[in-house]
Amino acid sequence: MKHHFNLFLVPALAVLMGVFAIPVVLLFAVSFWSVKNFKLQPDFTFAAWQRFIGVYGDLTLYTLMIGLATGLLCTVLGFVFAYAARFKAGRFGDLLLVATLITLFGGYLVKIYAWKSILGADGLMNQALMALGVTDQPLAFLIYSRGAVIVALVHFLLPFAILPIYASLRNVSETTIEAARDLGASGAQVLTRVIIPQSLSGLFSAFAFSFLLAAGDYVTPMLLGGTSGSMLGQFVLLEFSTNFNWPAGSALSFGLLFACLILMALIAGLSAWIMRPPRGAPS
Amino acid sequence: MDHEAAPWSAVMIWRIILAAFLLFMLGPILLVVLFSFGSNALIGFPMGDLTLGWYERLAADTGFHSAFWTSLIVALATAILATLTGTLAAMGLMKVTPAAARGILSALSLPVLLPPLVVAIAIVVLIVRGLGLRLGLPVVVLGHILVAQPFVILIVMARLQRFDQSAVDAARDLGATRLEAFRLVTLPQIASALVGAALVSAAISLDDFIIASFTIGGGNTISTFVWGKMRTTLDPSINAIATILLVLTVGLSALALRVTRYKG
Repeated sequence: MKHHFNLFLVPALAVLMGVFAIPVVLLFAVSFWSVKNFKLQPDFTFAAWQRFIGVYGDLTLYTLMIGLATGLLCTVLGFVFAYAARFKAGRFGDLLLVATLITLFGGYLVKIYAWKSILGADGLMNQALMALGVTDQPLAFLIYSRGAVIVALVHFLLPFAILPIYASLRNVSETTIEAARDLGASGAQVLTRVIIPQSLSGLFSAFAFSFLLAAGDYVTPMLLGGTSGSMLGQFVLLEFSTNFNWPAGSALSFGLLFACLILMALIAGLSAWIMRPPRGAPS
Repeated sequence: MDHEAAPWSAVMIWRIILAAFLLFMLGPILLVVLFSFGSNALIGFPMGDLTLGWYERLAADTGFHSAFWTSLIVALATAILATLTGTLAAMGLMKVTPAAARGILSALSLPVLLPPLVVAIAIVVLIVRGLGLRLGLPVVVLGHILVAQPFVILIVMARLQRFDQSAVDAARDLGATRLEAFRLVTLPQIASALVGAALVSAAISLDDFIIASFTIGGGNTISTFVWGKMRTTLDPSINAIATILLVLTVGLSALALRVTRYKG
């Protein structure tokens, strides 16, 4: 007998309610509260939201752009890697997955620290470029820039993109591919008409995951972004801690979240439109 | 797809592409490990003499000791509790309609999709402002259970789906109570998945920085200890701490992979 609910679900759902659902709803409510003399008071004002749009509008767009660049890079690179591991690597395929898992658990802070040492003024990259004679003094723009933030975010999030894409590529059967080949499809046609349409769900979760986590990050831009690579997450932190403006911090968090959701809905719609079956073809 | 022998150049191109990927993915991590054994303070060549000096310095650092034990306690508590809530939920999800299971699973996975910063701040607002309680290790553990339990559910459900329910029915027909049937029939068969799920939960807990740094109140985990050092200077002992953390998390997840893959 199947029901809609089971008592075994209670502990996990209790954690979800107590540590996630209720806190998130309360945090949303706080965005309409006000602060007087450093005391947070229940209220119903849009001041924090006005501050989000007025002061942080541009930064939100920059943050979305960094998230979008990271998400797209992770999805494309993740697809190439997963495709190679699935179809081209033969017996090394499993080894590639182990390498992915090591990168996944390589430590969030450790990775940012590694990039800081690689891209820094007396870091490895500048040493190498100077040894090769590409430049005679360290290139300052390698670190503390939007590019540095994107490189480190792609490095951190690539495993999260590879795994769902690989999982969906595992469901693409070799028989279908060979059938397409035998019917005269070229390599590019096999890719765009057989493999990509069948791995669309994996591609989308890879993009969603890497885009959301990149757009919401604050540690990477803090350590690698300098002033030109700032992201909204840093200012969420700033409003909460230094400014003690919890309503503003809350409005910033949810503003970013809503902006991300709108952008993802647009992208989902766009990709559905691009991937629509050609006119006249049986679906 | 090797049914028609691929041309040699295509094979070479794929090898070069994969080598570039592995260099990008593993290179930065390997550098940190390598330089934890070098006497030079900064990452850069030449790396100086081989030394265990940074590790010796850590071994004498009481701040690191307490961070290390705090991390282990939090990881252990997370592993046990998340495995408990996640396994129960996985068993519950097997008993509800597929539509309900999909909806509940998505809801339980939602915390992993939101930025950890937002989740962490929301928890702090509830604990401090909503309930007037103090932050501390129990709050960190709760936050880690929230993030780890969806992974436990996925691992255990994958095992339960391959599990023959008729063995439990047979045990029940032969007079076993529900609990006996679970302990004697179900548990031995899913034990390896449970161990794997517990190890993954511990790895998630050890790797987390954001939730821990907001909810810990006072004291340090290994991650927040590293953060303290990263903020001030590029302290070279970070390489050694990072290597220890890496050995712990990669070791735990490799172990989890072995346990679930080879015995399950």
